[in-house]
Amino acid sequence: MLDLLTTLNAWLIAPLTDYAFMRRALVGGLALSLAAPPLGVFLMLRGMSLVGDAMAHAVLPGVALGFVLAGFSLPAMSLGGLVAGLLVAGLAGSVSRMTGHREDSAMASFYLISLALGVMLVSLRGSSVDLTHVLFGSILAIDDTALWLIASVTSATLLVLALIFRVLVVECLDPLFLRGQGIRGGLVHGTFLGLMVLNLTAGFQTLGTLMAVGLMMLPATAARFWSQRLEGLIGLAIVIAMLSSAGGLLLSYHLGLPSGPCIILIAGTIYLVSALCGRHGSLLARLRRRAAPLEKNEDTCTSS
Amino acid sequence: MSRLTLDKLTLAQGGRTVLEDVSGTFEDGAITALVGANGAGKSTLIQAIMGLLSPLSGQVHCSMPKERRAWLPQQLALDLTFPMSVEELMLTGRWPTHGTFKRYGPDDYRHMHGVMQRLGLSGLAHRPLGELSGGQRQRALLGRTLMQEAELLLLDEPFANVDTHTVEILCDTLRDIANQGATVIVVLHDMEQLARLADCVLLLAGGHAQWVEPETLLERHHAPARRHAHTQAPFISLNLPDVPPCSTY
Repeated sequence: MLDLLTTLNAWLIAPLTDYAFMRRALVGGLALSLAAPPLGVFLMLRGMSLVGDAMAHAVLPGVALGFVLAGFSLPAMSLGGLVAGLLVAGLAGSVSRMTGHREDSAMASFYLISLALGVMLVSLRGSSVDLTHVLFGSILAIDDTALWLIASVTSATLLVLALIFRVLVVECLDPLFLRGQGIRGGLVHGTFLGLMVLNLTAGFQTLGTLMAVGLMMLPATAARFWSQRLEGLIGLAIVIAMLSSAGGLLLSYHLGLPSGPCIILIAGTIYLVSALCGRHGSLLARLRRRAAPLEKNEDTCTSS
Repeated sequence: MSRLTLDKLTLAQGGRTVLEDVSGTFEDGAITALVGANGAGKSTLIQAIMGLLSPLSGQVHCSMPKERRAWLPQQLALDLTFPMSVEELMLTGRWPTHGTFKRYGPDDYRHMHGVMQRLGLSGLAHRPLGELSGGQRQRALLGRTLMQEAELLLLDEPFANVDTHTVEILCDTLRDIANQGATVIVVLHDMEQLARLADCVLLLAGGHAQWVEPETLLERHHAPARRHAHTQAPFISLNLPDVPPCSTY
């Protein structure tokens, strides 16, 4: 019994009590896990799961420009990422409204332009190591500035999300009803995209621009297999994201693996397990449902 | 009395003029049927009345506040995979009074249960939208407009793909709403429903509109209407000069 406790302590608690960088990484990861998954749930419900990915690519040139202008400064890189992300979202939205083309095609075009610009900017100034850092982040190198940034973004996101929650739900469900009520759906949509860019920017330091979207989407898509209610989806997605963050962090510490991919892979594993044996729509749930009527049919046959 | 008037309205969509010089008055408490072939401009006119489409010329005079106008579109933009229950959908009808922030109170729930009972939706309050039949969904949506306490109700082919039980409930409810003084406009293709519901008819054809008496339309088109009632093709192919205009409007 004592051995078990010692082992558990060595695996779960000791890394956190021994190292300040681990504590900071955990707090940062948990804070990100509080705000990003609800956004992921709405992205998923709006059929925009890949838009998060596009936006993650879109913030790259801003981050790169911040890096080129101010060196490895988190505020400069974050601000750059935020501006680039908002610019791409705004341009894509405007082009789609003006031309009547679907928003995803406009967004795909702009994020590709943005990504190419970003890669070019990074390669002009830095080495390939810098690019790797921007793309995949380093949660173990979080400093106080980064923690403040993440905490502020999380608080702001939760606050704004609470303010626009009802209108966002109605806009997802039935945009025409909202238009009929004189509410401009574009404004709600824009605010939502802004929140998403904000969270991707906050996540890039810890997880990298590409991995940040993983903590947003994977918990949401996994939760879909367990709950059919919006509150359930959001709550569950947050729990999954927190477990992934803490688990991934400890795994990377003990096995000497990069932290970002560890966190996302744990979330990915939870998704795969959910897809296989979740309560709603999973492989197992489908098999069970298919089996039920057959039994009923047999009963009917024998009784008749 | 009337709170909705069209004044020499000309409407265009996608660079094409759809309706020209449409005038008329929708009486309070009356059910008006909008009748016309596919592409005659019924949905365009509804959009203009809802204030979602600016006219090329002319005006829609509507003294009813925007939040009291309800529209049930034909192919609804409702996302059925969205995790929401019937109860939650109906409560969104409280938007005009509750907006984004106000909490739903006991009165709202009491009103909702009354509406659900009236529409035969009792027992379905917690059913997810994705599990409803076409008829149940249509009743839930009408329930939302009842929660909205709409003064102007626009319905685009509300009886398409719904069961007869739902048709009965919808017809009775629409008549009740009208009797309480609301203006109801319904796009109809089926002559039987027109005979049952419509107090007056606005006929759209060839880019023009004409007010006609329901009886006149029924007399002239009863037979063809029955023959083509279940086909895809529009079965009311009318030329306006064929039908004498109604003197009232």
